[in-house]
Amino acid sequence: MPESNDTSQRVLLVGNPNVGKSAVFSRLTGAHVIASNYPGTTVEFSEGRMKLDDSWARVIDVPGTYTLEPVSRAEEVALEMLDHGDVIVNVVDATNLERNLNLTVQLLRMDKPVVVALNMWDEALEHGVDIDVEELERRLGVPVVPTCAISGEGIQKLRLRLSDARPGNWDFEDDSKWCRIGEVVEGVQRVTHRHPTIKDRLSHLTVHPVLGLIFGALVLFASFEAVRFIGEGLIGYVMEPLFNNLWLPVVQRMSEALGAGGFIHDILIGQLVEGQIDFEMSFGLLTTALYIPLAAVLPYVVAFYLALSVLEDIGYLPRLGVLVDNVMHRVGLHGLSIVPMMLGLGCNVPGTMATRIVETRKERFIACTLLAISVPCMAQIAMVAGLLGEHGALGFLPVFATLFLLWVVLGVILNKFTKGDTPEFLADIPPYRMPYWPTLLKKLWMRIRTFLKEAIPYVLLGVLLVNIMFSLGVIDALEVVFKPVVTNLLGLPPGAVGALIVGFLRKDVAVGMLAPLGLNLRQLIVASVVLTAYFPCAATFVMMFRELGFRDMLKASAIMIVVAFTTGGLLNVVLRAFGM
Amino acid sequence: MRTTVDKLSAGQQARVVALEGGRGMQARLESMGVRPGKTVEKVSSQLMAGPITILMDGRQVAMGRGIARRIEVETDLKKA
Repeated sequence: MPESNDTSQRVLLVGNPNVGKSAVFSRLTGAHVIASNYPGTTVEFSEGRMKLDDSWARVIDVPGTYTLEPVSRAEEVALEMLDHGDVIVNVVDATNLERNLNLTVQLLRMDKPVVVALNMWDEALEHGVDIDVEELERRLGVPVVPTCAISGEGIQKLRLRLSDARPGNWDFEDDSKWCRIGEVVEGVQRVTHRHPTIKDRLSHLTVHPVLGLIFGALVLFASFEAVRFIGEGLIGYVMEPLFNNLWLPVVQRMSEALGAGGFIHDILIGQLVEGQIDFEMSFGLLTTALYIPLAAVLPYVVAFYLALSVLEDIGYLPRLGVLVDNVMHRVGLHGLSIVPMMLGLGCNVPGTMATRIVETRKERFIACTLLAISVPCMAQIAMVAGLLGEHGALGFLPVFATLFLLWVVLGVILNKFTKGDTPEFLADIPPYRMPYWPTLLKKLWMRIRTFLKEAIPYVLLGVLLVNIMFSLGVIDALEVVFKPVVTNLLGLPPGAVGALIVGFLRKDVAVGMLAPLGLNLRQLIVASVVLTAYFPCAATFVMMFRELGFRDMLKASAIMIVVAFTTGGLLNVVLRAFGM
Repeated sequence: MRTTVDKLSAGQQARVVALEGGRGMQARLESMGVRPGKTVEKVSSQLMAGPITILMDGRQVAMGRGIARRIEVETDLKKA
């Protein structure tokens, strides 16, 4: 957590995962959210501000934790953050009182002022759970406020009672902890039985051995179609009209003013194709470098993160983890590693960051390596879709099938040859909930903003570098050097070298450079696969380095390059054998 | 009858009697609310030795087979 000389009060939101801390955080901070490291993953925190007494207080949403005895990294982080807190708001899930009080009593044993927000009050009522709030407050010794962050009920009262926060003055031996918790629950909670609701039935269905898998496949398919539909819609109805009707006249005028040629023109506008500006191929800073991130990629990024956020917030991802765990274990991963993989489909940077939820070094190594090699990011997928689009399924299937096969085979091999064990699955599966749209949209906006902040500078840099390298003749020289690999092994024209070089920096620009080469289907497939697998983009590389450390990063890099070019070579041979 | 969680059938209830395994595993289970004296209900087992889902105080918890095998339970809820 960032240290600072800031003297404002620090309000920490502490609680189990899945108790609605984010919603409470959202309500308390309103529009005043300052930071959120790649929202949506478990081991990050959000920070915002709220008015407390007469000044601004910092509000920090601490990663969800079950206990203060660190059992996982999330909990170690939370414990560290607690040290720096001034006031603790313990968000408790009213539908799961006993388990949640485990953390509460440990907080009460600390010498910090605590207020309990008894959240999901509405859900508790639905479940037939009634809690005597006054009695709970008396027994715990700290203010207890029932809240429903989704509707906003109780939030105002929570704000008011923050000033009543006081240390718990609880003292107990660890042995008697559950006894004392039991006494509290016994004294305050009444549960009336009620019939299973639709949500309950759905909960059971989605972890059913057979029906669960079918449902999962349907969900994934529906998500895929939704992303495609929304992405294409945004491109066709928003981005392309914007670029063609509004921006094109502007750059055309610029082009004419610059004399349709010359150094500055080539840098800013790029090369004219048949006397016209072509947003995909001209490769100028104001043309291609803007078109790629905004028109080709952003629509799919928005669509993807929307779909992912919905799946996250309704609570489907843990169930997906349960469904895929047995397969995941064969590649040495934990079922919940499906989350970083799915995040990686959006952007490999948050995907890599999300591998923090993974416990062991072995798992993290396998997860990061498989992510970098086999999971293409939306930027890349969008561009590949653009190139392969006309070939339809015949183009996509070989690319993604190869990447998937690579994921499985490499995963099994890495699992066998990496030392260590993979811990078993053990996770809370929260009930299905309707998404809380304000948090979801805020989360979506944060993800989009992060994408833009990162993509645009790197893309601009990439396009600029490419132009400079071309004019200096660097690319021509490199084409000669790498001809044996590129042409003989991969079956690609020498021009592909430029794409491979740029691929170190940015994947979408690299794929964009394949466009003018006039590749046939086989070459497009080989190029797409190699560009995904051989090395992560610069941003991902930095993140991987941070997560894995120097030695593991070196190992991973070697694996990537060897695997990518071997696969590319094999693919080239196999596809030729099929007459492509 | 004494058995372990992985051997329960879907919908069957049982009371947790003991947790085998190291301190770490027990701590993890405890944070999920699984501890001696609690009643659990088996929901499902995934195919190919996949995770087992149980209901604990009305909340689903999923665990790997190995963990489930180390939770000893008593199926006769009336027994002390």
